[in-house]
Amino acid sequence: MSKPILVLDNVCMYFGGLKAVDNLSFTVNEGEIVGLIGPNGAGKTTVFNCITQFYKEYTGDIYFINNDVKKDLRDIKVTEIINQGLVRTFQNVELIPDLSILDNLLIGAHNQYETGIISHILRTKKAREEEQVLKEKAYEILKFLNIFELKDFYVKGQPYGVMKKIEIARTLMSNPKMIILDEPAAGLNDRETDELENLIYEIKKKFNTTILLIEHDMGFVMNICDRIVAINFGKFLAMDTPKNIQKNKDVQEAYLGSDA
Amino acid sequence: MKILNQIENFFGTLSKRLTKHPIVPFLIFGFVIASIGFLPHTGFIRWGTMGIYAYIVIFTVVAMGLNLLLGFSGLISLGTAGFVGAGALGLGVFMNMGIPFEIAALLVLIIAGSIGALIGLFSLKVEGIYLAIATLFVGEILRQIYTQVEIFGGQAIRIGTVRFLGFINLSMINQTQRSFLFLIITILMVLMMIIMHNIVKSKTGRALMAISRSQHAAQAMGISLLKYRLTAFILATLFATFGGIMYGLYFQNVPTTAWTLDLSLFVIAMVVVGGLKSIYGTFLGVFIIHGVPNLWLKNVFGDISYIFSGILIILVIIFYPYGFIYIWYDLKKIYFKYKARWSKKKVTDHE
Repeated sequence: MSKPILVLDNVCMYFGGLKAVDNLSFTVNEGEIVGLIGPNGAGKTTVFNCITQFYKEYTGDIYFINNDVKKDLRDIKVTEIINQGLVRTFQNVELIPDLSILDNLLIGAHNQYETGIISHILRTKKAREEEQVLKEKAYEILKFLNIFELKDFYVKGQPYGVMKKIEIARTLMSNPKMIILDEPAAGLNDRETDELENLIYEIKKKFNTTILLIEHDMGFVMNICDRIVAINFGKFLAMDTPKNIQKNKDVQEAYLGSDA
Repeated sequence: MKILNQIENFFGTLSKRLTKHPIVPFLIFGFVIASIGFLPHTGFIRWGTMGIYAYIVIFTVVAMGLNLLLGFSGLISLGTAGFVGAGALGLGVFMNMGIPFEIAALLVLIIAGSIGALIGLFSLKVEGIYLAIATLFVGEILRQIYTQVEIFGGQAIRIGTVRFLGFINLSMINQTQRSFLFLIITILMVLMMIIMHNIVKSKTGRALMAISRSQHAAQAMGISLLKYRLTAFILATLFATFGGIMYGLYFQNVPTTAWTLDLSLFVIAMVVVGGLKSIYGTFLGVFIIHGVPNLWLKNVFGDISYIFSGILIILVIIFYPYGFIYIWYDLKKIYFKYKARWSKKKVTDHE
């Protein structure tokens, strides 16, 4: 049996009187690719924000299990989440437009620096070496994603597909155990979507990570995911393999409406 | 032949390494600026204008600090002048107590740095325009202290001859010594430029940009907003105070009434006109805002020169909204365009 890595247990999240997430429970196992689907406004991104602790006001529990250590994520600050091996991307790409692509990747490695500001000012040998090591790592990831030649260009002005790739590359800089992707294929054309599909497989294999993703492109989700969680109005509908999800009555109803 | 080749190789790699090293341009720049300090001896420029150049050098350091805040971290401070005053007047007060220059400078930096940290803590609670107002009043409080509190007393604090590094006396009044004072402040400016360069190219610089461009991404990548806002404010205050210390060192007579909101606004203008996020741009901005009207326009237009400098600044902002330093990229573009055209012509000629 595969081991669970992320456990959501009766998570509720309210915005005023609105129930954005309603008693949601599901488990993601190590090495899986899990999709989170639901109609617009179903609370998918809210779930992600709860997991990564951007929202702290949820009730219920979210656990992250890394190397058999089970941690309640609520006890961890939003800026410490990345140190647990859990890292995310954003629905609208959140990059630093006026930094080069390479520098954007190095932001992903922010917490791996051991030298402080004084040694950076003095450019000590240790600081330079550390920077070099992380740069090499960034080069490797950029080569892996086929955007190495662009490394010195600003992010501003890059095509959307490249920006999406940079965001994924940035998550890889932090040696993640689990990556949370918020609509990775949104705004991509068919060819780019196919490329992304392969890329996500490759990432899973090469970096040995678990992936949880939100996506509206059903073809993409059905192809790529091992299991799918469907929610509607914050409520859990079903969690199953793509084939069974397609047959599920509740899910069909949520997307297409009921017969009656 | 072999030896010649080897020599050529040696110089080739040497020049390559030298031109590639990031601090070399700063050193060349510093060398050029420092030479201004010795020009009056040759009669090329007048002694009277030395003060203007010194002012430019000093305010380059101050404006660089604000650039870290405004350009990199997206935060604003209207209290810059207060901290420049803190540097200059604080230095004067300590030195008049008989404390040597270097120790007095260190004390001032520590005190001002802690005040900067305090404002940084404020900045977490307030954003945007409210932060501007909060810092405005910090500056105002400092200004009131300088004019009202007795230890700063009167119109100005006289520092007098500075004993630099404990073995050389430098006085503003002696012309040779003044050249050396100019040399020292230029060296300090270059030092601060290199420090700034190293900061912005490091993890800290990237984090500062991350907190201003995308707070969500910054947090998700483990960058603490608290820590880096504090860092930004502390650095900006330290740069401003350092500028003040340079002011005290060079002018040796510090007025108590000069550290007004006007000055803070001028520093902001220097950063915006010169170039956000650019070190040389900061220098250029200071030169445009302070140097051009005082060095040239005043001689030509007299009292109405500020109208012309105002028009000049407006023009610069219209054509280069990100700072005048970006003219460099346009010049480069033109150069490459003509170079390409020229080489094409050469090829066709050949055929």
